Amino acid sequence: MTEVFWFSEQPYGHVTDKDLEGYESGRMHFPNTYFDPLKAHELYNNYHEQYAWADELGFDGIMTNEHHSSYWCMKPSANVDGAVIAKVTKKAKIALLGNVIALNDPVKMAEELAMLDCISGGRLISGFVRGTAVETLHAGISPTDNRGRFEEAHDLILKCWTTPGPFRWEGEYFHHRMVNPWVVPIQKPHPPIWFPGTGSPESVIWAAKRQYPYMNLGALLDLTIQLKNIYFETAMETGYEPGPEHFGYLMRILVADTDEQAQEIGQEFLWTEAHRQRGPIEFNDPPGYQSRAALEIKMSRPTIGTGTIGHRLSYQELQDAYNMIIGSPETVIQKLRHVKKSLDPGYILIYGNEGAMPHQAVMRSIELLGTKVIPALKED
Amino acid sequence: MTTTLGTNESTVRIGQHEVQMFSGGSGPPLLYLHGAGGNGGWQAFHQALAQSHTVHAPSQAGFNGTPQPPWVSTITDLAHFNLEMVQRLGLSQYVLVGHSMGGWIAAEMAAMGQENLKGLVLIDAVGIRPKQAEIAEIFMVSAETRAGLRFHDNSQVANYEEISRALTPEETLVDHSNREMASRLCWKPYMHNPSLPFYLSKANIPTLLIWGRQDAIVPVECGELYQEALSNSSLKVIDNCGHSPQVEKPQEFQDAITGFLSGLS
Repeated sequence: MTEVFWFSEQPYGHVTDKDLEGYESGRMHFPNTYFDPLKAHELYNNYHEQYAWADELGFDGIMTNEHHSSYWCMKPSANVDGAVIAKVTKKAKIALLGNVIALNDPVKMAEELAMLDCISGGRLISGFVRGTAVETLHAGISPTDNRGRFEEAHDLILKCWTTPGPFRWEGEYFHHRMVNPWVVPIQKPHPPIWFPGTGSPESVIWAAKRQYPYMNLGALLDLTIQLKNIYFETAMETGYEPGPEHFGYLMRILVADTDEQAQEIGQEFLWTEAHRQRGPIEFNDPPGYQSRAALEIKMSRPTIGTGTIGHRLSYQELQDAYNMIIGSPETVIQKLRHVKKSLDPGYILIYGNEGAMPHQAVMRSIELLGTKVIPALKED
Repeated sequence: MTTTLGTNESTVRIGQHEVQMFSGGSGPPLLYLHGAGGNGGWQAFHQALAQSHTVHAPSQAGFNGTPQPPWVSTITDLAHFNLEMVQRLGLSQYVLVGHSMGGWIAAEMAAMGQENLKGLVLIDAVGIRPKQAEIAEIFMVSAETRAGLRFHDNSQVANYEEISRALTPEETLVDHSNREMASRLCWKPYMHNPSLPFYLSKANIPTLLIWGRQDAIVPVECGELYQEALSNSSLKVIDNCGHSPQVEKPQEFQDAITGFLSGLS
């Protein structure tokens, strides 16, 4: 069983390396004077057409996310995009990967997610994320509070979904004397919860202990296999038998009619690669954002704990490492078969467009994926 | 209670917590509280103060790699922690000196009760939000930017090479823990307690405010606001000096503080 999800980061593709070069970082310092709302209007609508097309062509789901202060992701709200997906698709699951719950009011989060589950007829998969540190900084919250707030928000959201109101919640970070959300989810006891990560073993262990499917967002294949092993070891220690349904893998994939065409269009995956996470360590890993234990794990295992998005590998190296799969349907099928054989992920998440890729090229990629690649994978 | 480790270093137990303490000198007690960068150990300005006073310079809870008591998450918590330490050390009629974040802690302690205090010295202290300027961002900036904010003129700092050299791995971990703890304590509201000026209105403790005129982190305006809030205070502004007069202008600093301390009855 392998389910295939479409994902678009919804980039603001008009930004160039030259625009970014003069700024200290690609996120917090890159000013929004480069953002043209009318151009964004056009892009948003293209991205929504891509969602509808993927649904029509039989993708199992659409995944979305959110980031803040980022030109490469125009989505500051996963839930707003989730509402769009619910309306432009009919069958696809809606995987939010996810809400940065540490930074929001968890009760409102539980309500909005329940609303999305009701609107979509029970198609919601609710991912919870800690976010990159920039999300926390942008929200004005101390990075030292992210982990504690995340844990407590998670518990409170679950309680909203599973405990009839009204109830009282007096935690360390959230304080409500009356909680009674009117809207609750269709799916019982609650929508599936996914947890993503780029490379931190701590995230894998957190997910595995709770039996939450772990989605690796774009690490290289070798590292991802190591992380999967950590998940499976933790699952066995926790006392359950893990399977493919507990593990997903995100790759950048572009299909065109020929390998040559695909290679040309796929170059755009390297769009502003040098700048997107560029910035002082104080932005990407401020003191206290990771626990001291996580820091020690990282220091002891230098190959683990470093996401690959943002690292400067060449176009070919990224393809050799299965971080990007680019080609004709035949080439892509062959490479995805290798991924299935070596990783056996229950979910393949397709990061399917980037930068200024032409909308029609992306629509064609979705068509080839839906008519040729996905059927071939499902037959295996 | 106090175990001597080296010439000046010892540990003091406060409840479950062991405080790293540097101390020396003789005479009336003086408690010195370091800033958000952590405790640099026994330094020249401590030694100068120790000529006339018994100086105690603790590492604040959670700083310098010490464990972080779970209940300490605000500067007010830390002020209570320090008052307990004062009691354990048996300090009576002591002089309280604080630099930067340590000045904020000291001001909160003075607001909690001044009966046992002989005098208060705040050096380029945070704690009050300026109305015109801003307290500089020190968390969401690079190490280079932080280093650039520190002194007005690095050549005035006697041991600049030593204090600006690359950190060893152990020192990196300590620095990391200092910044983690400072983030926890000072992130929001940033480097101030909106209620502090009101707390201080009841204090009439003799207070000396010492500021570097070119302080690039805490503007002199903060010193003026402390002066407004503390009815029995005077402000000494040192020219050609940044955020740390005790290091950058040690003689002017020493003259100002000696004059103040000798005037306390």
